Amino acid sequence: MTDMHKRQLSADINGTRDSADILRQELTKEISRLNRFSTRGILALSLFLVVSILAWWGFSFLPAPDTVTAVLGKPPSANIIGIALLLYTFSAILLSLSRMTAGIEHRSSFSHVGFLTAFFLFYYFGKSLEENYWAVFGSGITILGVESYRIWTFCAEGISKNREDIEYVTRTGRPPPQEL
Amino acid sequence: MFATLAGKALVPVGLAVTGFMVVCCLILYSVIREDLHHGEIVHATNLADTILKSARYAMNKSDREMLATIIRNVGEQKGVDHVRIFNKKGIVTFSAKSGEINRQVDKNTEGCIVCHKGAVPVTNLGTMQQARTFRNPDGTDVMAITAPIYNETDCSSAACHVHLPGQKVLGTLDIGLSRAELERSLTMLRIQMIIFTLMSLILTIGGVTALLKRNVFLPLQRLRNYVELSTKKNDIPEPPPHLPHDLDIIATSYYSARMNAAGKKQNPEESINDFNKGN
Repeated sequence: MTDMHKRQLSADINGTRDSADILRQELTKEISRLNRFSTRGILALSLFLVVSILAWWGFSFLPAPDTVTAVLGKPPSANIIGIALLLYTFSAILLSLSRMTAGIEHRSSFSHVGFLTAFFLFYYFGKSLEENYWAVFGSGITILGVESYRIWTFCAEGISKNREDIEYVTRTGRPPPQEL
Repeated sequence: MFATLAGKALVPVGLAVTGFMVVCCLILYSVIREDLHHGEIVHATNLADTILKSARYAMNKSDREMLATIIRNVGEQKGVDHVRIFNKKGIVTFSAKSGEINRQVDKNTEGCIVCHKGAVPVTNLGTMQQARTFRNPDGTDVMAITAPIYNETDCSSAACHVHLPGQKVLGTLDIGLSRAELERSLTMLRIQMIIFTLMSLILTIGGVTALLKRNVFLPLQRLRNYVELSTKKNDIPEPPPHLPHDLDIIATSYYSARMNAAGKKQNPEESINDFNKGN
């Protein structure tokens, strides 16, 4: 819950007991939302594991690489894809650590699954998936691991703070003090 | 572990550094392996060219004994798995292994199907397409090159036996090189990379841990001890000396607040001295 939201609520409640209940409900809702949000990283990681299993089986449901490259043209070489994967991994980890430092709530996990799936597909159509499977898998586990940790710590801190606020409202009947 | 400051500081750093180094090593290993494989194909192609030129000379002289000796000598070289020449019908005419001579080669096997998959065989293949890898009956990985022996003017016009000028391919040279040495190099590279990664990880995480402990956790521990001690004692102790600037401000403010609460007037000069302590 934002500070502005809290100020608005505190102006609305005018110190009455009913309004304290409203504030408690709002805080409880926020805890539920954070609880749901905290699983987002793990869900993205699970989805990536499903994609990785499909890649391990060689994307048997996809058309053969030659059929697709006949239409789309020659794919980039494995070395070029490797450089792109390295740059992407570096940028994604840096971005995630920056968001962790700034305490930003960002829902980026599933987009990473999309990018990593694209790398699997590029390697598949370039006929070098077998040699580079573990590089993409390692990259995915690292990026999504850091992202999951960031989301989990962000939510854990938010939940802890909201619980303290509920306790304060229950004890005093007043909105919690603003953070400095 | 995750609730402590050390855990919060070290888990993301450890995860990010470990993961990135592993990805770097895997990509680097893949690139090096690809380069070595490419170099091996170039080496095998050059060897095949040398044999083809020698074979052409021997064939133009109609000297089958010389050609058989060339093939046998090359086949005895260390790291050469097989060398054989088969004619247009797929019958092995020369081989380093005498037991293979006059045996029919199946056109549907891995090395042959590349050119013979259509009704009309392909007569021109790129260097990389000529190469194939497989495991021989002894369990050794082999990289083989199949190079066509083209008909040229000096072949079709030679006095010994005349090939028709329209015949494009006279036969095929098949040479296989053992990959055991390459695999040994790659295994060594893998071990070296794992050791290098582990050493870098230990150094990175150890360095970060040592710096954090020296510059953050130990001063925090001293501040915590000071606050706990001052709540237990009646007289208010002086803040600990040589704290980092940020923690020193907290300790001095806490000391001033306690002094004010106790009704004691702190000497302002002393307060400034206390404040500047550790800067």
